[in-house]
Amino acid sequence: MAETNNPFPENAARESAANGKLIQTEDLWKTYLMGSEEIHALRGVSLEIERNEYVAIMGPSGSGKSTLMNLIGCLDTPTRGSYWINGKLASELDDDQLAYLRNREIGFVFQTFNLLPRATALGNVELPLVYRGLPAAERREKAQDALRMVELADRMDHRPSELSGGERQRVAIARALVNSPSIVLADEPTGNLDSATGAEIMNLFNRLNREGNTLLVVTHERDVAACARRIIHIRDGMVERDERIR
Amino acid sequence: MSIGDSFRLAIHTLLAYKLRSFLTLLGILISVTTLVTVVSIVRGMDQFVAERLSQLGTEVFVISRFGMITNAKQWAEAQKRPRLTLQDYQALRRGVTQATHVGAIVRERGELKHGRQSLRAAVRGVTANMIDIRTEELATGRYISEADYRHRKQVCVIGADVLKNLYPSGNAVGKLLSIRGQRFQVVGVAEPVGSIFGQSQDNFVYIPLTTALKLYGQRRSIGFQIRVREAALLPAATDQARLILRTRHHLGYFDKDDFGLISPAAVLELWQSLTGTIARAAVVVTIIFVVMGGIVIMNIMLASLTERTWEVGMRKAVGATRADVRMQFLMEAACLSTLGGVLGVALAFAGTRLVALLSPVPAPFSLDIVVAALAVSSAVGLFFGIYPADRAARLDPITALRSEGC
Ligand SMILES: Nc1ncnc2c1ncn2[C@@H]1O[C@H](COP(=O)(O)OP(=O)(O)OP(=O)(O)O)[C@@H](O)[C@H]1O
Ligand SMILES: [Mg+2]
Repeated sequence: MAETNNPFPENAARESAANGKLIQTEDLWKTYLMGSEEIHALRGVSLEIERNEYVAIMGPSGSGKSTLMNLIGCLDTPTRGSYWINGKLASELDDDQLAYLRNREIGFVFQTFNLLPRATALGNVELPLVYRGLPAAERREKAQDALRMVELADRMDHRPSELSGGERQRVAIARALVNSPSIVLADEPTGNLDSATGAEIMNLFNRLNREGNTLLVVTHERDVAACARRIIHIRDGMVERDERIR
Repeated sequence: MSIGDSFRLAIHTLLAYKLRSFLTLLGILISVTTLVTVVSIVRGMDQFVAERLSQLGTEVFVISRFGMITNAKQWAEAQKRPRLTLQDYQALRRGVTQATHVGAIVRERGELKHGRQSLRAAVRGVTANMIDIRTEELATGRYISEADYRHRKQVCVIGADVLKNLYPSGNAVGKLLSIRGQRFQVVGVAEPVGSIFGQSQDNFVYIPLTTALKLYGQRRSIGFQIRVREAALLPAATDQARLILRTRHHLGYFDKDDFGLISPAAVLELWQSLTGTIARAAVVVTIIFVVMGGIVIMNIMLASLTERTWEVGMRKAVGATRADVRMQFLMEAACLSTLGGVLGVALAFAGTRLVALLSPVPAPFSLDIVVAALAVSSAVGLFFGIYPADRAARLDPITALRSEGC
């Protein structure tokens, strides 16, 4: 079984616009229409993220953090503005190309885990590889490696309901990592966990970053953000402050 | 996502919701069962009737006062027809030169008695040459003879059922039998014939035609059975017989026959037109049901889509394309309906075996109808899966994900 074809034609010109940055956004707007009222969730966000960075996004509730993450994760499309992911102009891609980016360039970790309840940990981690079109044996091997990376080697055959919250989130992280994406996005990954388990997950993120993964993590908690080397503060849909630590 | 993977996924999902899946495919299952069973049974009956008719002999045609009557109007008209008489018989015997044998028969039913035993049976008065026209064979003794006919002898040939019921010893030739208070001597016993549609064909007694007319009245109408050497001569012999009877009955050129003429081909034709109508009606009705089964599948898929919106969003989030999602839902619909078709065929197989076991109808289970039923059910699943699958494929990932948290 062949891997899913790369749906991208040669677009070197557009790639050069990204200046070699892993993520670059340019004046991103997201506007929701509620009846006749316009809600601006994002009002012109421009930022750049480079390879191997560990970036935290902070901001009050409703400031647009999730909206931004969903755009970068190619789950949503901006109302206005452009953004590049690993050199590809995501704001102008079609559905299949976005699916390819979600599959290969991005690993998304959700606050609510989003695991298939009927599948085992292994089955859940294999899912991105299924859509990548890998043969079963290779899938299994890669998924096992990913689960070992999050120290769940002995929980592979458990279903989500048979796992603790922290373990579920680690399964979700393994799923995000399994395709070796360019960037891992995590929207409040510790939001549904107690503080001890949350700290465990943050330790895992630290390690992943040391091992060379690029991370973009939304969080409310200062000490969580403190793990990152850079904190982007969002307020009212705009970047309020871009703070570099150390 | 590969076809194999989406097939496994579909089976997995269907098994995860066994009861719902079963109820969903029930419509397809029932209609396929009905279709395959009805068509098999109709074919079986056709085959059966054709075999029986060829047993009666494709070289024999029959003339009777009423012929084949298929509705009440024909019956009312036939009441005005003249009786067929021994004089008609003599004329046919002389005039139908294309025939090898021209025989005559009157049919009655009567009570047969022997000692304390009695039995209701078909009483048939026949000419001696009927042994060469009809298909019954003699087991022991002799048939009705020319002399019996001429002298109105009170002798009879009995069927296997009569032998069994009235002469449990198994030995009847030479013994006596009474019909309508008249004593008859058994001169022969026929070989068993078997049964048609559960009706025994061995419950009869043959007596000389002349004796029968004496017994039941000279005014009874007679039937004629005419044998030709080979089936190809049937039309010529039929024409001769018709001409003779029309002349004797003084019919004009434009008058309709006032007698019935039945050839095996005509019976088969009538029968097949009847069963053909049944089969066509069954096909139309079941196709409507199959389509309704498809609509049920579509409806359930749409309903399940609302509760699986999150799942679609999650799959898209990890890289499923529209085509992947469409394939997943189409595969589910196709598997459901194909499974319905397969179970329906299995049930129909059991049903036709049962019919074949309990009745003389062979109910052949033919491959073409099975293939057609499976093809139709899969196609219906695919067709009615298109809309839900497309709806699922078009879901926006973030909206779908937000539909539910887990
Ligand atoms: N689908 C939607 N329709 C309308 N408005 C929306 C929609 N999604 C988000 N919003 C609005 O956009 C704004 C930003 O929402 P977002 O979810 O990005 O906030 P957030 O920073 O992630 O908040 P939290 O920290 O509570 O998760 C909010 O005011 C929200 O009400
Ligand atoms: Mg949020």
